[in-house]
Amino acid sequence: MSQGRTGKINYRCPKCLDREVDYDLLFDREENQFYCRRCNWEGNELEILTRYAHYKSQYRDMLKRWTVEDILAKDEDNWE
Amino acid sequence: MFVLNLIHRPELVAEYIDTVSQEGQSEELSKDSVVTESLEIFKLQQEIAHRHNLRTTIQMTYASLYHDDSVALAKAHHGKYGDEIAHTFLGLNCKEFRETYQRRDPAIWLYSMADKKRIVVDSFERFHECFGFYPTSTGSYFMDAELVNFIKQKYPMVKIAVATCFEEGPKVFRHANYSWYTIMDGSPWTAWIPSRKNIHAIAESEEDDIGIVAVPHLSRDLLAIMDNSGDMWGTHPQNIIRGLNYEDDRLPYMYNIVDHYRVLKKYNNGYSYNLVYVGPGWMGKSGRWEAPYRILRKSYEDFIAYYGELKKQEEVVDMTMTEFADWYRREQPRSGPHVGLWKDIAFGTKNQAFWYADSQFRVQIDLKLGGAITDLRPYASKLERPVGAGTAANQDASYPFIVQSRYRAGPFVHYAGEGAIKSCKVRYEGEEIDLSSCRTLGRARREDPYTTLEVKPVTLEFRNLTIKLATTYSFAANTGEIVITRRVVESSNPEARVEVDEFMTSCWGTTEYPEDMSGCLLSIVGKDGRRKEQVYEYLCRTESQPNVSAVEAALPMVQTRVSLTPLGEAVCSGYYEEGYSFAPNLKIGIHTNVGLNEELKTCLKVEQAK
Repeated sequence: MSQGRTGKINYRCPKCLDREVDYDLLFDREENQFYCRRCNWEGNELEILTRYAHYKSQYRDMLKRWTVEDILAKDEDNWE
Repeated sequence: MFVLNLIHRPELVAEYIDTVSQEGQSEELSKDSVVTESLEIFKLQQEIAHRHNLRTTIQMTYASLYHDDSVALAKAHHGKYGDEIAHTFLGLNCKEFRETYQRRDPAIWLYSMADKKRIVVDSFERFHECFGFYPTSTGSYFMDAELVNFIKQKYPMVKIAVATCFEEGPKVFRHANYSWYTIMDGSPWTAWIPSRKNIHAIAESEEDDIGIVAVPHLSRDLLAIMDNSGDMWGTHPQNIIRGLNYEDDRLPYMYNIVDHYRVLKKYNNGYSYNLVYVGPGWMGKSGRWEAPYRILRKSYEDFIAYYGELKKQEEVVDMTMTEFADWYRREQPRSGPHVGLWKDIAFGTKNQAFWYADSQFRVQIDLKLGGAITDLRPYASKLERPVGAGTAANQDASYPFIVQSRYRAGPFVHYAGEGAIKSCKVRYEGEEIDLSSCRTLGRARREDPYTTLEVKPVTLEFRNLTIKLATTYSFAANTGEIVITRRVVESSNPEARVEVDEFMTSCWGTTEYPEDMSGCLLSIVGKDGRRKEQVYEYLCRTESQPNVSAVEAALPMVQTRVSLTPLGEAVCSGYYEEGYSFAPNLKIGIHTNVGLNEELKTCLKVEQAK
């Protein structure tokens, strides 16, 4: 079995990402599989992207534009 | 005025860019392909800035001072665009440096003091050889006070430095797989004038003034960084991409954070500040992690274009670092305060964080926790804490806290004890409610010298009583005092009285791990002036007494005394609790009974205790 290499895209381990550790995955050519040297995660590109999508779901305002006016007005009403 | 400092550097041996070496091939510093790519990125960054009519500060790295093309480029851009030619200690990890020093440490603050002095003189004199003058601005990820004091002594013309990365501490260390040694929590989030004793702390007088204006490396999200690694949350598009807070080339968050900093003008007499500093390694042709070059480049183009647009609208003033230092010295008070009420612009919640910093402390209040203090750095102690090889602190460049609710549990613990927090509990007929369980909102206003945080009243439901409790925090600038008022504004039973317990659970440290509390001193001071004291020995001892004038805790390891003093006519009881090894905190508190339209008003004071 030859050494793991950086894949064509240098993905980070999605499981480590969930606990906010950036750790590059290696790619095993024979197994056509990414794997993490820190934790026990291994998987294919689709599994990486699925986990990334879940990570991104924490950002409910990811595509929202908050302008100066929006921020100033945010949660300023309904105090009384 | 909203000020932008836009900084670029010709790094030549850019962090992250040498991906070939990362794959296991032998390292070859200064190889042509890396130097060429790094310089091309620098040129691109400069071109983008100039295209949008923005001036930059060009920070010359060690390697670039030995690179004729970089020197020529800096001179040309200074002449044509008015960019400042400045100096940086970033980029030490280059061939020329290693040949001179036989060292591989990339971080100036982690060298011994003798080496720091040598590197300063070497690089400043080299700078002078290249340009015929000494730089007036410099920087690194961190500049300790000892280093800056030496620079000011040797090169007094220096006016400003990039002096810390805001809240790069244990969270960022972990995020970089425990291998990125920027462990430096505890500074202000915006420009400040540091103390001679400690770079994090804001100067309290002319004598204490270190002689430069300090600016943070990047302007960061004041809410997100409380529980997230700061290196995903700043005025740095590729950092935002690192945090995956984007979809393809759509990154509205990068505009949102700029606009939130514009909002902070409201609390700072019309002034706010942004620093943008993207190293060339973040825009490499081979991409950065998952993000392709296309997105890395476009994000920077779009981001800088936004500042360009703001400049056209006269909503931002681009200054070089030295221009900003001159302006800051003219227009801003030496000791602050700096104030920020930050609203969530990422997670889709109503969460808010309030930040306050002056020469006596930096305070973070989490409105989601009922307006509890969740981080407190006692600048009053002006703690001398040298870092680098040969020092006790070595890599740990953080300014110690005396409250940190995320590193030290805060309102929620497993099994036993209490975490570090400054909060309040309300009791009625055997029931107890901690305000940190009451999510709320805040409004801040500044009427110098006072800054007030008004906390939206929260509803407390007991079995036989429902009340509304209002909280205000009032900061008197540079006194070390916070007056905290808890007032019952509504009650289902106007005759009922609740016990309001204003308390602080404290410890000291810079990381998640406990430090030795042995030798801390707990005190209760009666109205008659008599004092009960206990030296901390982890023995779980408690003491209380009625009719007190103060409760105090001294933490000699951080040379800090903190006290709670009842104000007004209320007769208050006081107590302290020693803690034990499974709960290595100390606790002080003041309590009294309060009815409808009555209040408990206390003064929390932080001061130096040698």
